[in-house]
Amino acid sequence: MPAKKRSRGRVSPSSVGRVGTLTLEYLRQGQRTVFGRTNCQTPWHLLPPIYLDETGTAYTLLLNPSGGLVGGDCLSICMKLDKDAHVLISTPSANRVYRSESEISVQEADIRLGPGAILEWVPEPTIPFAGSRFRQAIRVQLAPGGTVMLWDAIASGRIARGERWAFASLDNEIWITTASGQSVLERYHLNPTEKGGVGLATDWDYVASLYLVSDEVSSEVWKRLEEQLAAILEERPGLVLGGLSQPAAPGLAVKLVARSAPDLNAMLEAMWGAIRAQLWGLSAPALRRY
Amino acid sequence: MDTLALLKGVRFIDSFFPSGGYAFSSGLEAAVQRKAVRDGKEFARYVEDVLRNSLSRREAIAVAVAHRAVTSGKLSAALTIDGELDAMKIGRESRLASRQMGRQVIRVAAEQFEGDAVLQQFHARVEEGRTPGHLPVSVGLTLAACEWSPEETVAAYLYQTAVGFVSAAMKLLPIGQREGQRLLDEWSPLLTELSRNTTKKSVMVSWSPVQDIYGMQHAWLESRLFRS
Repeated sequence: MPAKKRSRGRVSPSSVGRVGTLTLEYLRQGQRTVFGRTNCQTPWHLLPPIYLDETGTAYTLLLNPSGGLVGGDCLSICMKLDKDAHVLISTPSANRVYRSESEISVQEADIRLGPGAILEWVPEPTIPFAGSRFRQAIRVQLAPGGTVMLWDAIASGRIARGERWAFASLDNEIWITTASGQSVLERYHLNPTEKGGVGLATDWDYVASLYLVSDEVSSEVWKRLEEQLAAILEERPGLVLGGLSQPAAPGLAVKLVARSAPDLNAMLEAMWGAIRAQLWGLSAPALRRY
Repeated sequence: MDTLALLKGVRFIDSFFPSGGYAFSSGLEAAVQRKAVRDGKEFARYVEDVLRNSLSRREAIAVAVAHRAVTSGKLSAALTIDGELDAMKIGRESRLASRQMGRQVIRVAAEQFEGDAVLQQFHARVEEGRTPGHLPVSVGLTLAACEWSPEETVAAYLYQTAVGFVSAAMKLLPIGQREGQRLLDEWSPLLTELSRNTTKKSVMVSWSPVQDIYGMQHAWLESRLFRS
């Protein structure tokens, strides 16, 4: 993205409401994680953290009230979690990307976790409409002891309308790096009209990844969690196909394809519950989204 | 291509080369056991998809970048692409298989191309554990040292991978030698097209979620013929 679009106060009038940065800083204050410095440009809308339980985890909804992304939109998120902060990020609804004749819609997140900080990044799926052009980049840098759980899911399109794998292009990059420089990187470029299209994924309606990276979790805990998640992935044969493994960075990586949104959500909830229980002794959160 | 260059290079991609490639199925064994691939037609679809959407856009790019590292004398490009490939190969079995085969190639190559500075430095880094030494990077460096062109090098890598799939399929599926040869013949234009489109690119992408999942599931199979 051009630097001029990102610098505050220099947004051209035609970009207002279309090019915006959400800056979020979280601090640990006693038992709670609270906002530090924050800044919000339209179309982003900033809501104060919600506390779903007694753990002090700050739950923030990424809110773009414009209803979705159109060509030329460029939304960025700049997030920093201070030492020992625990943050849960989600979205109120699916991230809709509308048809665009030429310009792409961009969403980028640059996330930094301090020592001992925990980030649970669990947005609703992205729905790329027919003819849409979307580019997403999420980069996470972990300090020693930082832990990230990152969920990313895309739908094939507006499935209820019979619209499947009809977008013009979709680029996605997820890059998580630990303090010692070990990385997990997922990067794909999709253009369903190219020869080969989306390949075997065309038989499915949702594709999702779950990355769990931390340099402070013992190998025994990873192993137990791996066994648990593998069993969960086998719970819906024919409806969900999933695999998991140990990536090059310390942690686990899950890849799955699903037939429907309920199948996808059931998998996420079951895995998320297992992860929370194993890593932090917490139960699955009730997000009170609806 | 110069005949001597051809013979020097062809040894490294020949199935006689001791890289251990015969032990890996790249997830095909899991796909067969789960009945996702049952015959030659389904096998061809499975492999063509992974060639188009994954191998030609990720591994083949690593081959081409490594080739350029030798011709330009810049080791850093080979090290960067090797590290990035390690980060992108999220399946442990597949990642370790690529590292093991790459190490074998670069070890043999280092003995035979003592005058190639980039290849020698890369080999030293692999032995010191400072870079993973993935197969595509080692093949790219080695065939560049053999004076193969970038396109020939990428085509050779993709062909070697296709042969690996066919070899595994002949053990896992009702596919005979003649059908295997027919498939390799059918894929030749595809491999040519993919090689031509790859050589100038430098950003790796990959999209084969279904094959990636079977690659990951392989570690959980109760009985296995292959190591991946």
